[in-house]
Amino acid sequence: MRSRLLRNLLWSLAVLAVLAGLSFGLPALDNAVASARPVPAGVRYDIGAGVSLVPPVGAQLDVAHTVPGEDEGTALFLLGGVRYSVRALPFTGGLDEVTAQLRESITRTRGYQVTGAEMPVRTDAGVAGRQGGYTSPGRQGRYCAFLAAGTAVEVTFAGGDLELHDSLQALETSVQSITFGRS
Amino acid sequence: MNLPTEDRAPGPDSVPAVPEAGLVIPTPAWARARRSLRLPAFWLLIALLLVGGWQIGALLRQVAAGYPAATGLAIGLFGLYAVLFVVFVRSLDYFEREPPLLLLTALGWGALTATATAVRGDAAVHDLLAKLVSPAFAASWGPAVAGPTVEELAKTLGVVVIVLIARAQVNSVVDGFVYGAFVGLGFQVVEDVVYALNAVALAGDGDSLRPVVGTFLLRGFLGGLWSHTLFSALAGSGIAYAALHHDRSAWRRWGAALGALAGAWLFHFGWNSPLLADGFGYGGPGVLAALLIKGIPALLLVTLLIRQASRREAGYYLDKLVGDERIATVRELAALGSGRTRTAARRYAQTRCGRPGRRAVRRLQRAQALLALELSRGGRRAGRYRAVALAQRELLEARGHPDAYAPDSSSTADWSWLVGCLCAAALAVALALAIRALGGS
Repeated sequence: MRSRLLRNLLWSLAVLAVLAGLSFGLPALDNAVASARPVPAGVRYDIGAGVSLVPPVGAQLDVAHTVPGEDEGTALFLLGGVRYSVRALPFTGGLDEVTAQLRESITRTRGYQVTGAEMPVRTDAGVAGRQGGYTSPGRQGRYCAFLAAGTAVEVTFAGGDLELHDSLQALETSVQSITFGRS
Repeated sequence: MNLPTEDRAPGPDSVPAVPEAGLVIPTPAWARARRSLRLPAFWLLIALLLVGGWQIGALLRQVAAGYPAATGLAIGLFGLYAVLFVVFVRSLDYFEREPPLLLLTALGWGALTATATAVRGDAAVHDLLAKLVSPAFAASWGPAVAGPTVEELAKTLGVVVIVLIARAQVNSVVDGFVYGAFVGLGFQVVEDVVYALNAVALAGDGDSLRPVVGTFLLRGFLGGLWSHTLFSALAGSGIAYAALHHDRSAWRRWGAALGALAGAWLFHFGWNSPLLADGFGYGGPGVLAALLIKGIPALLLVTLLIRQASRREAGYYLDKLVGDERIATVRELAALGSGRTRTAARRYAQTRCGRPGRRAVRRLQRAQALLALELSRGGRRAGRYRAVALAQRELLEARGHPDAYAPDSSSTADWSWLVGCLCAAALAVALALAIRALGGS
């Protein structure tokens, strides 16, 4: 009986070890590998769905949160402590709806709040969009939405006050560099 | 009793063969559920179910908060779907049915422990692929690598735990299949509910029900037959083989268990892989064809394996009834060997004696199966089932149907396969059209 219990205990520990390996070992291994990769300065980056932009100088790509694709794509750039996220996706509605959807996705997170009025914005290629500001605990941010040829682009960037202030110009330039359509 | 010539059963030359017996280790009469309370594996199971339940509960609460109606519909639809699967899988386990508490445990492991593990493990593997290879590779091949690697292992451990806490209840390879299928079913239901609610969130149309129905048709039916339930059933069969076949070398037992797990991994990999994802460029019909190409090999292989294992298990129990023609004739033994021939015998009885005849055959078959099971365990309650069988026999004899079997039922097999395949194909096309109509792709 004792040997049976001991065998059962050893097998139980083996089961627990494998589950712990999957639940905690793999995430620990993942955390041990850096996810930020430098992006070449001045070179266009394809987000997906035919959308591309020029990332700010010095930005790094967070490959763990970047998902390229034919029909839609997401990219997350890191500029110091500032997170700059761009998402391209097919969209059948109008610009107001894209903007509302983005605003809703921001405010759905507890502690995130949209601030002030929305303003028109335009890319260098002439695509019209709308932008506004938001706050989250300890961070300030901006969101922008664009729509062209059935493809919507949702942009957010946020960081601590000082960091965001220092990077704002470079981020605005990058947003204005957004182009639609495959070349 | 003499029957009119035209009512006589065919002669001995057409007597079908009783299935060959395979390795079955019946549950001993002394086996008691409460003995499991002493085992460390039991308490580990309880702890893991609680932790998994808490994590999955929190995840669902978070998703459901914004979409209460969609959540209710998703849980209702996939719950209903699970009931149908439970009925089907239970029908495979005719002779020695698994205790409901253990089946619930397997379902709970898949729904709570395996899914909670997969949430963390899948994301980590996906991120590692993005970091070590590229984001593009992770986007394309991440689900094909992460899904089977983490999920198949986590689900298979559920069958291992069942063996650890209730070794006496795992009597044959079929039992491993059944427990594995229940683990996979639990996993699939929770995963599908989460997918459905994600689809609602992505649609951006508030608490809309259309994405739930679309996901239900796509994932519940087109992707349901050969996904998690099937993969885990295959892996579970391997675990049962390793646990039962102590007469074989350790290499062979472990080889079978790992081989079955590798098979489950491979089928899952193929199912999740981006290969053929564009449907050969033919849109919806092409995608449907690709799903069938990816899924049918797994479905066929597992069907053949379980059919063989079921027949061997049936052969073992039917051996216990051989020799007493009042309890079971040779033809009845052959008819008891599979679900199809059992059903054919009931139908035949209905054509000859109406519904009471069908009912009597069903009761006779059940009494025969229970008697065989009881005899395999030592037979303390054999007298009770023998009496039921004899009572039904007398009832059938009084109605002029002494032999509960259907002549030529084996020759209908080819037609039933063909009709089944055609019905499945028609259903698949109808579902694809329904999904398209709902705005899916």
